[in-house]
Amino acid sequence: MPLNVRIGFFLALRALKRASLWTTGLIIFVMVLTFLNLVVVSGILVGLLQGAIDQTRTKFTSDVIVSALNDKKYIENSPNLISLIETLPEVESITPRYREGGILEANYKTRKETDKANTAMAQLVGIDPYKENAVTGIGNDIVEGSFLAPGDYDQVVLGHYLLKQYIPIESPAFSTLENVGIGTKIRMKVGDVTREVTVKGIIRSKVDEIALRAFMVDSQFRSMIGRNDGNVTEISIKLHDGADPIAVREALERSGVDKYAKVQTYEDAQPQFLKDIIATFNMLGNVFSSLGLIVATITIFIVIFINALTRRKFIGILKGIGIDGRAIEFSYVFQSIFYASLGSVVGLGLVYGLLVPFFAAHPIDFPFSDGILVAPVDQTLFRVGLLVFSTVVAGYIPAWMIIRKNTLDSILGRN
Amino acid sequence: MIQTTKLVKTFKNGDVFTPVLRGIDFQAREGEWVAIMGRSGAGKSTLLYQMSLLDDPTEGKVIIDGHDTHTMSASEKMRFRLMKFGFVFQDYALLPELSALENIALPLPMQGLTKGEAYGESIAAMERANLGHRLGNLPSQLSGGEQQRVSIVRAVAHKPKILFADEPTANLDNESAKRIMEIFTELHRGGQTIIMVTHEDQYAKLTQRIVQLDDGKIISEQRS
Repeated sequence: MPLNVRIGFFLALRALKRASLWTTGLIIFVMVLTFLNLVVVSGILVGLLQGAIDQTRTKFTSDVIVSALNDKKYIENSPNLISLIETLPEVESITPRYREGGILEANYKTRKETDKANTAMAQLVGIDPYKENAVTGIGNDIVEGSFLAPGDYDQVVLGHYLLKQYIPIESPAFSTLENVGIGTKIRMKVGDVTREVTVKGIIRSKVDEIALRAFMVDSQFRSMIGRNDGNVTEISIKLHDGADPIAVREALERSGVDKYAKVQTYEDAQPQFLKDIIATFNMLGNVFSSLGLIVATITIFIVIFINALTRRKFIGILKGIGIDGRAIEFSYVFQSIFYASLGSVVGLGLVYGLLVPFFAAHPIDFPFSDGILVAPVDQTLFRVGLLVFSTVVAGYIPAWMIIRKNTLDSILGRN
Repeated sequence: MIQTTKLVKTFKNGDVFTPVLRGIDFQAREGEWVAIMGRSGAGKSTLLYQMSLLDDPTEGKVIIDGHDTHTMSASEKMRFRLMKFGFVFQDYALLPELSALENIALPLPMQGLTKGEAYGESIAAMERANLGHRLGNLPSQLSGGEQQRVSIVRAVAHKPKILFADEPTANLDNESAKRIMEIFTELHRGGQTIIMVTHEDQYAKLTQRIVQLDDGKIISEQRS
């Protein structure tokens, strides 16, 4: 190792060893805050949407979703397709669903002729409760009443967006049911068929596809919509841990499934607007991170500048006794690296040891998602590198400014 | 060994020019111990800084061992200082975060010694100066006299051609000052060239020659 680097390292070690613990602690604290600003702000922004994506995957699409083509109401030849899917080794469980657009009506028994009908548009879905729960676990999201059982007759579970007590929105484009709770009888209308059903449970979800749906047992729903051929509208497929959704999609496409159904991984099924928002939030996160980085750079610049200025006499002495200016510059660079590295290590510990697990266990309750902290290791390490680099530059410049001053002026404290 | 010719130093502050040295012709032979004296503001420290290449003269030459230092670059001057000069300052100029031993050993690797050699020579030099029990002490844990002794050990550890001392006893009590001058006397007996700025007659008399400065000029030279 070059002599100047070794002497610089030695001087930095001694300077850090003899420095005030409070000052060192404060600088490292600033570095930790900067690191958290770099990682957590953008991580929360992205995590806000990642929470929504994760929930859509868990509660609706699962790992792969097969659905009817845009111009079809159902997937043709569904029974054979279901058999084919179940033969794939990656598949853990599946839930086929029947789905039709329909209208729910609440006050039909009590309203006068002059009163307006209390209706709500909804997606009406027929499911096998066991299979659905095995794939999406939506039975755990019941907030009132209970989830469906296979033998339930004329009973429904409603998504909470369909009920005014949960979504008190007055909008001409969006109507909800009033005064509907567990045990309330409501009408379900699909095409020309109307059936009176009892509300058995209310499900609360931040996934629109769940919150705007009314669920009933599939055998009941089939009879209501008159579909006896077993052709379903969508099939959510849950894979074993570690299985690749793309590989399953490709296997299904190779079997020709894509000719009569849409086969999508959970990522394919994300709406484009969501992908655009993620890109936007990433960009915003980078802007906030850059501001944080500038603040950190200025902080270190000021700290090192003041340090070098107050130690100008000793810098002069070092030069006077023959220590190369570059060795002194290295000592400040090493001190900067120390501050940035220790700040980053503490920050990494906080992010991966505390914040990521904490937000995973206690997501932030945003209106449309349970926000988590997204901090991919590669991106975090890149930010660590960025922080250390900025800090080194911020430490080098003031040291260089002071060191280039006249040696004697430095020793004598002359300007 | 060292010679100045028509050395002029003028400080500039805005439009104000303050001449401090006005054409100094000075020389010191190898092994000589010279005291530079004069009242405050006479220019004695300024002369020392020009001769020790810590500062650049406005006019004139400093010739050391036949080398005209006027033509040297800043890095060459730094190298010259490192290899050929030792410095003792009035306020000791020790680095506060380094121990006494580290203060002495730090410049030695720059002069070509290995880390082991640097520490070995520094320990031996400290023991010769009766500072063997203070190796690990920080400057703040030493008395003024001890700090100046460490400063002298640092200045001569690499056996410099010339030892420059700027009022080395100014901050010390009588007892410590006498001890410092004993060290200088021993160094001189060993053949060390010493150029010392002082305002104390009793210590100037220990040297071989006293050069009196006033208003930037040499007004007298006398053998002591």
